[in-house]
Amino acid sequence: MNNVRSGIAVALFCCLLCSSFAAAEDRVAVSPISDEDRTFFEKEVRPLLVKRCFECHGGTKAHGGLSLASASGWAKGGESGPAIIPGKPDESRLIDAVNYRSLEMPPADKGGKLPAEEIALLTKWVAMGAPDPRDGSDVLGGMTREEARSWWAFQPIPPTPATDIATDAKQIDELVLREIRRQVLNVTPAADRRTLLRRLAYDLTGLPPTPEEVEAFVADQSPGAWSLVIDRLLGSPQYGVQWGRHWLDVVRYADTAGENSDRPLPHAWRYRNWVLDSFNRDLPFDQFVRMQLAGDLLTQERSGPERAEGIVATGYLAIARRFGHDIDKDMYLTHEDVIDNLGKNFLGLTLGCARCHEHKYDPVSAEDYYALYGIFESTKFAFPGCEPKGQPRDLVPLISQAEVDAIMKPWQEKQERLKLALQRRAEVAKQVFTPEAVQATRLIEKADVKEGASVELMPTTVAVHKGELVLLTVEPGGNHGADSTLCALTLRELGGQQRQWSTGDLLDNLTESNPRTVHDAAWCFVELTKDGPVFLGEKADAIDGKSALKRWSFADTPSVFVNTSDEPVMVWTLLAARSFFVHPGQNRPVAVAWVSPVDGKIAIEGRVADAHPAGLDGVAFRLEHVARPEAGAALLEAGRILSEPMPSLEAEPKIPVAYAVVDQQAKNAKFQERGDPEKPGREVSRRWLSVFGGTEVPQDAGSGRRELGDWIARHPLAARVIVNRIWGWHFGRGIVRSSNDFGARGEGPTHPELLDFLTSRFVQSGYSIKALHRLILHTETYQRASAAVLSSDPDNRWLSHYSRRRLSAEELRDSLLFASGQLDLTAGEGHPFPEEKTWTFSQHAPFNAIYPTNRRSTFLMVQRQRRHPYLALFDGADPNASTPARQSTIVPTQALYFINDPFFHAQATGLAGSLLMDASDEARVQSVYRTLFQREPSRTERERVRRFLDSYPGDLTEKWSAWTRVLLASNEFLFVE
Amino acid sequence: MNYRVLPAAPSRRTFLRSAAAGSVLFPGIVQQLLADGGDPLAPREPHFPAKARNVIFLFMTGGVSHVDTFDPKPELTKQHGAEIKADHPEIKNRPGYERIFLKRPQWEFKPHGQCGTEVSTLFPHVAERVDDIALIRSMHTSHSNHYNATLGMHTGSFAFSRPSIGSWVTYGLGTLNRNLPGFVVIAPAQTYAGTQVYANDFLPGAYQGTLVVPGAEPIANVRPRVPTDRQQLELAALQELNTEHLAARSNDPQLAARLRTFETAFGMQMAVPDAFDFTKETAATLESYGLSLDQKSGFGWQCLAARRLIERGVRFVELIDVGSSNNWDAHGDMMTHVPLAKNVDQPIAALIQDLKLRGMFDETLIVWTTEFGRTPFNNTADAKGREHHPWAFSSWLAGAGVKRGYVHGTTDEIGLRAADNPVHVRDFHATILRLMGFDHERLTYRHAGLDYRLTGVEGAKVVKEILA
Repeated sequence: MNNVRSGIAVALFCCLLCSSFAAAEDRVAVSPISDEDRTFFEKEVRPLLVKRCFECHGGTKAHGGLSLASASGWAKGGESGPAIIPGKPDESRLIDAVNYRSLEMPPADKGGKLPAEEIALLTKWVAMGAPDPRDGSDVLGGMTREEARSWWAFQPIPPTPATDIATDAKQIDELVLREIRRQVLNVTPAADRRTLLRRLAYDLTGLPPTPEEVEAFVADQSPGAWSLVIDRLLGSPQYGVQWGRHWLDVVRYADTAGENSDRPLPHAWRYRNWVLDSFNRDLPFDQFVRMQLAGDLLTQERSGPERAEGIVATGYLAIARRFGHDIDKDMYLTHEDVIDNLGKNFLGLTLGCARCHEHKYDPVSAEDYYALYGIFESTKFAFPGCEPKGQPRDLVPLISQAEVDAIMKPWQEKQERLKLALQRRAEVAKQVFTPEAVQATRLIEKADVKEGASVELMPTTVAVHKGELVLLTVEPGGNHGADSTLCALTLRELGGQQRQWSTGDLLDNLTESNPRTVHDAAWCFVELTKDGPVFLGEKADAIDGKSALKRWSFADTPSVFVNTSDEPVMVWTLLAARSFFVHPGQNRPVAVAWVSPVDGKIAIEGRVADAHPAGLDGVAFRLEHVARPEAGAALLEAGRILSEPMPSLEAEPKIPVAYAVVDQQAKNAKFQERGDPEKPGREVSRRWLSVFGGTEVPQDAGSGRRELGDWIARHPLAARVIVNRIWGWHFGRGIVRSSNDFGARGEGPTHPELLDFLTSRFVQSGYSIKALHRLILHTETYQRASAAVLSSDPDNRWLSHYSRRRLSAEELRDSLLFASGQLDLTAGEGHPFPEEKTWTFSQHAPFNAIYPTNRRSTFLMVQRQRRHPYLALFDGADPNASTPARQSTIVPTQALYFINDPFFHAQATGLAGSLLMDASDEARVQSVYRTLFQREPSRTERERVRRFLDSYPGDLTEKWSAWTRVLLASNEFLFVE
Repeated sequence: MNYRVLPAAPSRRTFLRSAAAGSVLFPGIVQQLLADGGDPLAPREPHFPAKARNVIFLFMTGGVSHVDTFDPKPELTKQHGAEIKADHPEIKNRPGYERIFLKRPQWEFKPHGQCGTEVSTLFPHVAERVDDIALIRSMHTSHSNHYNATLGMHTGSFAFSRPSIGSWVTYGLGTLNRNLPGFVVIAPAQTYAGTQVYANDFLPGAYQGTLVVPGAEPIANVRPRVPTDRQQLELAALQELNTEHLAARSNDPQLAARLRTFETAFGMQMAVPDAFDFTKETAATLESYGLSLDQKSGFGWQCLAARRLIERGVRFVELIDVGSSNNWDAHGDMMTHVPLAKNVDQPIAALIQDLKLRGMFDETLIVWTTEFGRTPFNNTADAKGREHHPWAFSSWLAGAGVKRGYVHGTTDEIGLRAADNPVHVRDFHATILRLMGFDHERLTYRHAGLDYRLTGVEGAKVVKEILA
């Protein structure tokens, strides 16, 4: 194969001078010509021009500015002036050039100088006055209207009489055999049943059959066995995973947006799964098309899951690639991506080529492009976020506004209540230690308590009033974080009722309440923050399972706790019997406040001891008297409010949304000169392609997506294109090999009648893809044995045998997981992307992740900017452009994967592990050949395994892991026959 | 060609022999396995005879300031602080950038070498090599975003993903050593646009760039996971299985091709570490690249690795100096150019000298470039940094087929726009392809019904003046 193509063949996807879209305006009034002249031109001149000149100067192609496709073309001429002066061959550059005088045309690499008789013919024509009936109006894009009208792919599908599947399958075989006979090739016999089942299972589900399924199929010799197994596999949910993936290839599905920071698309998976599901339930293809273009509009009147489905389906449009730094600025490129993809995808037409100029080969005008463009400009695409514009917007809710409200309103109300409650708490807390209260605070005593030490309070007497506070505050010493501190505080009323209060009173029923009232005095347990006291609100009647210990806390660490037992209790330290403790944290001193019920004098005594001698910094305490009667009331009020149950903090309910589209203000697009959005031209009405009639979107119809879906779904071209894809995915090659291009630059069908026959059946079946599978799978053509590449037909165009194929990236990875028993067959949903609110992706630090999963590879997270290394290695689909057929390269870096990759090794070891559960090597050999190759090992093979196991060092696990690696790396495992 | 089969550890042939020992390998098949037929990486001849056989592509990430490195602008110093007007993409509708002022270069320029080309003090070592270099001072590009400009410099496309220049060259020429990938990218971190800059895109997978990340396992899966003697037992058994399988399938070439890949992969396990094992380099060589013995990263390491890869027949080696952050993107302070220049300056000069000493300079094309330049202005004259500047920047070529000690093109007196002989990125690509022996209009690949080429459709011209 010579990879370096030397053809200059004008075959560039855009032209250099892009002057040609003005062609429509350039029509000239042509003087009427006689019938005789017209006949001469049509019979002699036109064919010659087409054959010899049009490659570079035909259609809208205009090398050197010269088009010979219309009279005005040659009259205007190229860069060097008019090409023909009617009646004057000697002054006509065209005649000059074909004679190789000044210019040499056609040039040597385009066939060279014309034969003398052709030169004579052209000279005669020019001498006649160059009669030319072509006024330019018969050209549409790269074809004449006549050529376009008769283009094979656009023709109606010829109807065929209904028969049964067996007759149809024979008919298909006959159409294939006819070509094989014509090519004088030999067909291979039918493949054996094991091979067939492996082929079918991989084909329909991407997974191998189990040994039991193989045995059952081999044993079932009934005539209906094949149909049965087809139906079983088509009914498996794994069918959708495999065939949905084919479709995802074509629509260049990805889980990131592709703009400069490659943002994740956390909701795109819904579209992915909808595709898989649509295949599984055999959604008629015409409906599949309509839904993807306008599902939101089609389900407008519905509700619930049906409505949601319609929205999700338009994910097809939303997943279009986004471009640049500020996506909104480059939406014209996204629209191109949409138009390019839907053209290739549904119609096999490279519509994107008409952005900057008339299509050079197919009957598509640049106006056609902007007619479709208007439809998408009238559509609002979900916005994935981008560096300068922040987070996503315009995601489409999957439930109605009423349902959204029903979920969101109560939550918002709760949020509001919570906010108010928090505000109120903050306010009351500030009321306690007002500046006046601080002013009125007297220090009674403060001291450091060294590590493990105990400090006795100096007995003291204080005059207090009702409502004033006595406050014992403990904080950690030095820089240490926290320490358990034993506090014993006794307050005695001198005179009056001679009442006495003590922390000892708090031992029993500590957790009854906070504040806790004992003999008319309220005790409050608080943490002192800079914003005021925080009441300890969380209680527990055990610590570390020790029920003698009770506690109050604000978070995890107990802040105030007691040992109610008569014995010391060991937790993180040994807690003395019948004692009261506080546990201050760093910047979180703990205070025990006593609100005085007394107007008079009280005596205070007690001690503070470091109860957790761990060699740290000890603690410090402060005993204070807040001599302001309002302080107690404020503290108790704060306590009351703070102990009211808080509205619970709930996560914001997730409204299910889709990465999808909706209609916005419908308007026609402006033509863009040379595809430049900064050079808007005339307005172009939203309409269908002119070659197919150019029907306009009705007034008040919205964007026109619904109409576009209909136009596409009803067109025979769309049916041909999908039928060809299905055939191609079964056989590795379409009847039209260029399955994304049914235009002039594509390859024609190898079996046109067959394609029409299949398409006709497909339409008759109500666009059922599963019916089409059944038909194809019942042919002998599908069931032939594979063979080595034929030199006479290296691409197996004529299908004389089944084309042996390498497993795709997904099939290989899934098969490895299947072999090790690790494959998770459940459907994946969203990827574990970081929370949207945390996104700070930029072009300097774009999103980049690989998420391992044991689910089927269809559920791997696919990134646009950074390819998944495994998928890149084994020719996975291009996440940036439609992949109509996978490549199947064989390169050494793949072999490195089979030698050294950790995932590969892990699966081999997993397989070895399950084999070791078998009793003998004999049984293991049989089991592994059945699992991987769907067959029994031969005697030679059994001996080979024995020899290998004998010669390979290590224990049984090592030996069998090595042997499973060998088998999993083998061609028999990697190729489907 | 300078490519030598280095006496590496077990070669493919010895592997084959070991695989054949005690197995049922037929001599005929061995012959077939040793032949390279229908191989997408088989060496091919270009359109024209060309001196250059390999490329070392040095990419400086983030946008190197031309006026501070390779494009002296005394007038810019003189007019420092003068207000100018420019319809510049980076200041359009940007708050705070309503007025712009010229900002003088911060490094001195001096003439160097016989040719007297002026280079700033940021590149003292490269300056000593100006007689070997053809400098282009009139480069310009089509986009002022890193992402797009970086993609454009690598693929010719400023929005859509397309094959990388390395993939195109490998596609055109094949490769010379099947124990190593044909196109290698050595990068400590990903640059803008991620893996797209070295992707094969629609070209066959054989032409994708293989990423080498300096460190313990430079190429994925190249380190044997079981001891070599065990691996050989496994590979011999695999060979036996596959050979039997192949024989029963009429020697299907795709199956045979896969057999061969295991031999190559086996060889790569030795050849790759060997290529990155500098212990046999002389102290003088290491020192010239500024490398210490145990150093396994840095641009000096990358440059020496590039020489060793080229020496072993790798077709295209790209070196990316740093990743998409903390690079030459000096918005905040031009002084950040100092460590970045220091990272690459001596190694690049050493690479040129080393290639010359080994006679490889005449067969290797060295490309030095960045995605765009930096503005000669800012919104205040005292702003420390410079902004993105697609209108003008400097790149250079050196080595096979390239004029030496030559300067092509100029910018205007303040370095704002390419003035004489502007060279667009596409022209730059066309010139590189021409140096490799290709007509850029004829190196095409049919994809989706169209013939694509690196230089796209807008037209590109070879900078003929630069060809020796």
